[in-house]
Amino acid sequence: MSDIPGGPMANRPVHFIWLLDCSYSMQGKKIGQLNYAIREAIPEMKSVAHDNPAAQLLLRTLTFSTTAQWHHKDPVPIDDFTWQDVQVDGMTNLGEALHVVSRELQTPPMPTRALKPVLALVSDGVPTDDWKAGLRAVDATAWGKKAVRVAIAIGEDADRSVLREFLGNPELQPLDANSPKQLAAAIRWASTAAVKAASQPVAGSSDALTKQPPYAPPVLDDDDDVW
Amino acid sequence: MSTPHWETFSESVQGINKKLNQDYGTAEGQGSTEDPLVLAVADGHGAARHARSDVGARRAVALFAGHAREFAGFARSLVREESRGGLSRLMNYAQHDMPRRLVAAWQQDVLGHWDRMRKRSGAGTPPPDTADAEKLLLYGTTLIGALLTPQLFVAWQLGDGELAVVERDGRIGFPLAPAETDLGDETESMCSHRAWSLMRVHWSPVVGPDRMPRLITLSTDGLSKSFASSEGFPRFMAGLDRRLVDEGAKEVRAVLPQWLRQAARHSGDDTTMAAGYRPPHHHAIKE
Repeated sequence: MSDIPGGPMANRPVHFIWLLDCSYSMQGKKIGQLNYAIREAIPEMKSVAHDNPAAQLLLRTLTFSTTAQWHHKDPVPIDDFTWQDVQVDGMTNLGEALHVVSRELQTPPMPTRALKPVLALVSDGVPTDDWKAGLRAVDATAWGKKAVRVAIAIGEDADRSVLREFLGNPELQPLDANSPKQLAAAIRWASTAAVKAASQPVAGSSDALTKQPPYAPPVLDDDDDVW
Repeated sequence: MSTPHWETFSESVQGINKKLNQDYGTAEGQGSTEDPLVLAVADGHGAARHARSDVGARRAVALFAGHAREFAGFARSLVREESRGGLSRLMNYAQHDMPRRLVAAWQQDVLGHWDRMRKRSGAGTPPPDTADAEKLLLYGTTLIGALLTPQLFVAWQLGDGELAVVERDGRIGFPLAPAETDLGDETESMCSHRAWSLMRVHWSPVVGPDRMPRLITLSTDGLSKSFASSEGFPRFMAGLDRRLVDEGAKEVRAVLPQWLRQAARHSGDDTTMAAGYRPPHHHAIKE
């Protein structure tokens, strides 16, 4: 008598996709710190995932330089996620990366039964291809429109207007990471706040009023070691 | 005239790791003309900007129950005028006036709550006033409500969740299911702009006591979203109906909290069901 009718039950996935700028401008300290920051953020992501047992956190990583390449192509459950360092390569072809992501946001392969996906973009420069076409492709998908988006601008040369347009919400600003300490804090925040935001029911986004930031970006401490 | 006697049940469980249950539900009445069956569930939104959604959900359910009974009173008087278009006037009221009245009453009610809380908040100067739309956002909730009298079955829905109906021949229907399901836990809400225009209405005059549904359930999305596949919830309804027929309402009422807790563990959401069930060998109520 106690078994619930209806068949198997399951929690719902949160697809989290890192979009990482691996162009030559990231060479040296920046790429080293980015690798360090993501590796250090994994335990906190696990902690957030364990606090939300109804959400199954699945991670992927896409790097973009002269081409866009999957670093983790298949969604990896957070408990199995390990970080292998990414390397720098060439240009900043963000548009290609966004096109690649847009194909993953279509249904299928994305299931309709899921929580909002998270797109986390990290960049230090200016795109070198038609990034607007890539962004239009993301925005044309149902899940792309719903995605929780976060953007981290590394250093003074990052094109913040591109990141703001990626965020697609005038209430949201990219998070500035002008030092290794700030980058670590920004990655930690993006990894956790966005996952929490993705797994909370809210009133529909058809209202201008409800288009408020789903999370509050942190104030990052200044650091002497500035990029 | 005799009408079927309805068994009712209503249960709500808190989602895992949630600080409080922001759902609310009720199941009242016997389905007679004088004591109509009234079912309602509301799902207060979970995000921080909807911090008083538990109050919003409770008030939405209470206001619906009051308005539904008032509607049943209109129905009693208007159905007698059927030859003069009484039923069509009632349908027009259900589709147009009721949503506006419900939303207006809810908004007025929660704005009143906001004012009372503001005045009560600590000693000294109360916090500054803010725009009504911002206040309403705090109380955001969905609402599903159903009313059944011997002559009418009417239901209203704003936002997500399910109204499921098992007809007397066992067919299962979801008469208020949207053409497209909202993705990613976004839903229309009582706090939305022009919320009344977003309300979906099911209108179904009852031809005779034997043509009534045998089971009507209203549930918040915490239940349907817990199943691994889209077929899970219709299968749940079929199983629930079978258990009610085989084992009776008392047994199902006893096990329902356990089922809802199981669902909440997977959906993570507060999970609520309000239902009316017409046993096959019912005791008729003399009208």
